[in-house]
Amino acid sequence: MKTRRISLRTFVAVQLLVTAAFAVSYAGLSHESEERLQAALTGHEVVSNIPVERVKPLCIDPLYDDPEVVSDEQLAAVLEKILPRFSPKELKPNFVEHALRTWGVEATFDDPRAISGIALRDVLIDHGHFLQSWNEETVPLLVDRPEGISIRYDRTSGGSVHHDHWLASLTEAGISRDEPVFAPARRDMTINDVLQEAARDFRLDERETEWSAMAFGLWLPPVKTWRTADGRQISFDLLAQRLLRGHKRFGVCSGTHRVYSMMVLLRLDDDFDILSDATYDTVYAHLESVRDAIVASQLEDGSWPSNWPSGADAAANPLDEAVYKKVIATGHHLEWLAIAPKELHPPHEQILKAADWAINHTVERPESGIRKQYTFYSHVGKALALWRGTQPAHFWREWRKAHPYEPTKTDAAEAGRSTGSDLPTDSPSNH
Amino acid sequence: MSTTLPEVEAPISEPQSPELPDATYLEDQTPDWFKTPRSLFGFTTVIGAIYWIFSYRPLWHTDLWGHLSYGRLLWQGQRLPSTEPLMPLSSGVPFVDTAWLSQLIGYGAISAFGIPAMQFLYAGSITLCVALLAWRFFRRTGNTWISIAGLAAFVWLNWQQLFVIRPQLAGLVCFVSLLVMMTSRHWSRANWVVVPLLFALWANLHGSFPVGLAFLGCLFVGRACDVAWKTRSLGSIVRDTKVKRYFLLAELAAAAALLNPYGLALYAEILSVSGNANFADLVEWEPLTLRMRQGWAAAAIAMALMFVYRRTPRRVSTAEVLLLLGFGAATLWISRMIVWWAPVAAYYLVLHGGAVWKRHRSRRPLAEPPTRRSLWSVVSLGSIWIFFAYTPFGITVLHGSNERFERSVSTETPVEAVKYLNEYPPVGQIFNTYEWGDYLTWAGPKSLQVFVASHVHLVPREVWQDYLAVINVSSGWEGILDRYSVNTIIVDPLRREALIDRLRRDDQWTLGFEDNRAVVFNRRNPI
Repeated sequence: MKTRRISLRTFVAVQLLVTAAFAVSYAGLSHESEERLQAALTGHEVVSNIPVERVKPLCIDPLYDDPEVVSDEQLAAVLEKILPRFSPKELKPNFVEHALRTWGVEATFDDPRAISGIALRDVLIDHGHFLQSWNEETVPLLVDRPEGISIRYDRTSGGSVHHDHWLASLTEAGISRDEPVFAPARRDMTINDVLQEAARDFRLDERETEWSAMAFGLWLPPVKTWRTADGRQISFDLLAQRLLRGHKRFGVCSGTHRVYSMMVLLRLDDDFDILSDATYDTVYAHLESVRDAIVASQLEDGSWPSNWPSGADAAANPLDEAVYKKVIATGHHLEWLAIAPKELHPPHEQILKAADWAINHTVERPESGIRKQYTFYSHVGKALALWRGTQPAHFWREWRKAHPYEPTKTDAAEAGRSTGSDLPTDSPSNH
Repeated sequence: MSTTLPEVEAPISEPQSPELPDATYLEDQTPDWFKTPRSLFGFTTVIGAIYWIFSYRPLWHTDLWGHLSYGRLLWQGQRLPSTEPLMPLSSGVPFVDTAWLSQLIGYGAISAFGIPAMQFLYAGSITLCVALLAWRFFRRTGNTWISIAGLAAFVWLNWQQLFVIRPQLAGLVCFVSLLVMMTSRHWSRANWVVVPLLFALWANLHGSFPVGLAFLGCLFVGRACDVAWKTRSLGSIVRDTKVKRYFLLAELAAAAALLNPYGLALYAEILSVSGNANFADLVEWEPLTLRMRQGWAAAAIAMALMFVYRRTPRRVSTAEVLLLLGFGAATLWISRMIVWWAPVAAYYLVLHGGAVWKRHRSRRPLAEPPTRRSLWSVVSLGSIWIFFAYTPFGITVLHGSNERFERSVSTETPVEAVKYLNEYPPVGQIFNTYEWGDYLTWAGPKSLQVFVASHVHLVPREVWQDYLAVINVSSGWEGILDRYSVNTIIVDPLRREALIDRLRRDDQWTLGFEDNRAVVFNRRNPI
């Protein structure tokens, strides 16, 4: 049988037709589909940056100024205990992050032993400063990535302990979006690049999402949804549902950070409507159940135990646990309650009782003990400042105007010598 | 049909009543077009039997119900969701529905005719594949028995794959149609239209259309190699009409596949899905081994192929080597690829087997050509009717509803357990075996939050690993259930005995329901 020949004209016509078909189809792709196609073809994820419209992060203002909870004198006494008096050698990022979120970037101190907010910040965002505190053998805290900078989080030396805690702490400390971040190799990055990298590498189902949720909440609104590197569409609804997932006991610091992050999202929703009504109601109902649990679980001395989710059982059968665990639970609960509406509060007497316990315990605690467990006590100081409708740095600045710093012999002696050995490496810091 | 009786005298030895003429003298006066060879009856019987057998096969408990759930969602929502809509733990995961049309068809069918419609679609798809192959086999060999042997090879190779009713069956029909068109002795001008249309349909029925493109690619490359080898000239490749034909057809097919709701993004999805790490934990995505039944089938057919290739008098084209080795390698890499290798292997087995047999027979006197009689047409039509009428769908169409649900679904379908869940709807997250996620989504309470389902590529990696940890009772499995706020667990006693045993001994869990198919545990103090 004679085979029908295919003319050049036919061949070219088909090429044009097929090329046009693919071109039209490509042109019709959504931006997201285009990125997925590129990723599929190149094997490298391509995700656009999320537009961040603010230079400074949002701040959740405290709702109360209640001297019954903590007086000026008591607050000053507590804050004095949690001044960031760290040795400049081997500054643990976890401690620095807590000090920063408590005191803020702009904090300055008369006490020569205390490290300013700027100096603390530089340890975290400048690899050069990090090296000065640690050494060449320490794995860098800042990790160069093709598209940005990620933060090394693990429990080894010089690591940030929790995922996105670095970012959330600097965010709470009020760092600028455009603040330069100097990694070992990259010198052209800013906080925004770290934020974008965090948004890209975020995994909704990873163990700890508390700080990611908070950081995204304080930076991204009015943006409500964005995509991660694996293409997953994340929304604040999803973040809230993720925080709701699981028994209350789960999560860092006896599950209290989940509660705090949920409260932050609810407060942000008031201004930016980032949650659906259904999710808002679910989160609110969950916080009501948290309230009920802490109402029932408060111990005789006013503290909350680490097993607070057990409610009345926790109070009836108190655990024989280390006191720092109570500091964690009590400090953190006081902190979220300070930004929560009254409907989510336990009876006022219980708050007073908890605050009393936290104040007395902190003030009586020797400085060495607080240095060991600085992270836990920093939450107590921050919480009490919030209950006075202020921030620790602001209060401290005003307090110092009326009560100038007077160096003691001990202060002078300690300021003059290296205090690196004062920071034990085995301090319990599950935070 | 009109049959007249000639006037003949009745034999003397066998006196009969005068009004009853001797049937042995009936003359076939039906038109020639109605007369068919006996082989047609043979094929009808085989194909009809296949239809009948698969019509009575219980519907498999995985995949089908998930696809029907997506179909229901599409029908009710009137749009394609952009993120995974059925598994709460996969919220936000991008969702490209590569089988939306199959799902809609399936949902439409079950809505109209109930379960028998699913049995019909299932058996009908397989029967269509077999019928197309039978036609092609017979047209190429003219040998009924070898053709039936080829069909047997096809069914044997795909036996396990054919257990499951899913859109892949629609893809298989498309693939077999393509194979049948491309292996015709004569090129039809209609192919220029039919093949692109087939790909446009295929791209909407199932995401397997790239297999068809690979098939056309093999034909193109194979033909180009043959031409280059024969002429020792690369220029002749460009001038060869068949080379150009395959090339252009592949291009047009690729372009036609863009006619889907996602356009070019469908290609991206298929490229990325195949590399999903979760698949590594599924048996059908494992390499083919002799420990699998289909591995034995593949080994046997491969040996048969070697035998016929060793003896065949036919010229072996490069294209068929590429197809057999390419699809064969893919099957060795991922066992479920056998679904595509099976028709290719069966076809070339028949083609060369037929050639070997013909050479063998040529040494003997030629058999008489088969006689064509209307009898075979009538008997074939009758058998088609019987095979149709005595199936669940036939009974439903002819006699009204015939739904015997429990007999229609596989014995591993947790029918009674789901009734229990509907009676006592779980609050919050449940934990279920992935095989049941689909059925639970389809038949369970509306608010049911399944943990995972058979669309495992849509399950986030961490969730999937946690699922495996629990199902395998790995270290920390209890904590995982707590972390996901799981309040209800539904598992099968057949494969999850260890987990069930641990749950029975755990004070936190109480037994809610139990039968020989499923066990449901409820958390004593829900989270």
